[in-house]
Amino acid sequence: MSEFELHEGFIVCPECDLILRESSVEHGFKIVCPRCGTTLRSVVLHSPEKVIALALAGLLFFIPAIFFPLLTLQIAGLEHSGSVWDSAVKLIRSGFLFPGIMVLLTAVVVPLANFIILLTVAIQIQFKRANRITARMFRLYHHMEEWGMLEVYMIGILVTIIKLFHMARIIYDTGFFCFIGLIVSSVGLILVLDEHRFWEEIEQQGRQYVIASEPGKELDEVTFKRERDTLLG
Amino acid sequence: MDRDKVIDVKTGRDLGLMVCLDCHKVLSVPEDEGDGLCPRCGAKVFLRRPDSIAETWAFLITSLILVFPANILPIMRVDFMGSQEYSTIMDGIIYFFKEGSYGIGIIILTASILVPLFKVIGIALILLSIKFRWRSWLRHKDLMFRFIEFIGRWSMLDIFVIALLMATVDFGFLTSIAAGPAAGFFCGVVISTMLAAISFDTRLIWDAY
Repeated sequence: MSEFELHEGFIVCPECDLILRESSVEHGFKIVCPRCGTTLRSVVLHSPEKVIALALAGLLFFIPAIFFPLLTLQIAGLEHSGSVWDSAVKLIRSGFLFPGIMVLLTAVVVPLANFIILLTVAIQIQFKRANRITARMFRLYHHMEEWGMLEVYMIGILVTIIKLFHMARIIYDTGFFCFIGLIVSSVGLILVLDEHRFWEEIEQQGRQYVIASEPGKELDEVTFKRERDTLLG
Repeated sequence: MDRDKVIDVKTGRDLGLMVCLDCHKVLSVPEDEGDGLCPRCGAKVFLRRPDSIAETWAFLITSLILVFPANILPIMRVDFMGSQEYSTIMDGIIYFFKEGSYGIGIIILTASILVPLFKVIGIALILLSIKFRWRSWLRHKDLMFRFIEFIGRWSMLDIFVIALLMATVDFGFLTSIAAGPAAGFFCGVVISTMLAAISFDTRLIWDAY
């Protein structure tokens, strides 16, 4: 007898532990926990395709948005411009290692990783190639998501502009417009990602199942189903 | 006045089911009530997050300590024609209000001072209410917690602004901007409050039900 049984037919609210009966959700509807109000299911049509499209768009915008100058300042005939990358490197170079690394991680590394992970996971799901590594990657995304702070950086750019436009002439550069494109793709990604569907697909497509009490034991689908049926009684 | 308690509800714990917090797979609780790995995503699954409350307190106290240097020390240095001027977070906000840009002043005030304050007080209230088993306002407490989770990252705003100012305003002797010693502490506040929210298991709020 395994310690862990796979349960079908129930939703347990991850926020408040309430039990609900699983039911199918049509597009345009969602299941909301009646006790705490968390959205438990919400269907996005063609989610993997949309994720692939937006993640690709985001990756295209990424390099110009981060490395090309965002703004150029003109003061008394002098010009200077800065990019997102400069802002992190400048902090590190001037001795502020910790804030500099934080800026680098939250505005460059984590968003890039999120785009790459979502693209890979969605492609694997779309072409029915999801496996255990897909599951690990998607789990990593689940934990990294909130550490990517592109939207916050966008507001930071706006605050900077408001702070400076009294004292200098500001020229908006390529990086600025690419950064807007980057924001649109990263916010869009959150909207079109159907996490429940992705997990279901990963589970169905993964041919190697592991029963938790016997780590490392790989089963083919037929054996897995038989074992699961005996487990579920 | 216990408006929350209108219907009789069954929770996962009652029926011996637990949910994986990473992929939301429903699993049954092993007989020894210990934790194990989720067969679908490989995450650790538990009925309630172990040591959640102690961890949350630890991060909360860390952030409470860091809040003081973050607000007292200067966060930015403006060099203009050889003169150096330091300013704290509050100075920056006052500057905006004096300039007449109230909107932006309110945004900075909210992101840098009100949000961290609200996070610390809010999480402390929730932890105290669990400790002393206050059973009312469960849904409001959960809503407040989710709001705290959501706004957590927005405190980084001030750091991003300073980093970008440093990168753009760099005209040598004429004028340049540098970060101040508070920047590191401020990042510390943001990280520790975010970690406090992450290590808290919201199901503990509802266990009072």
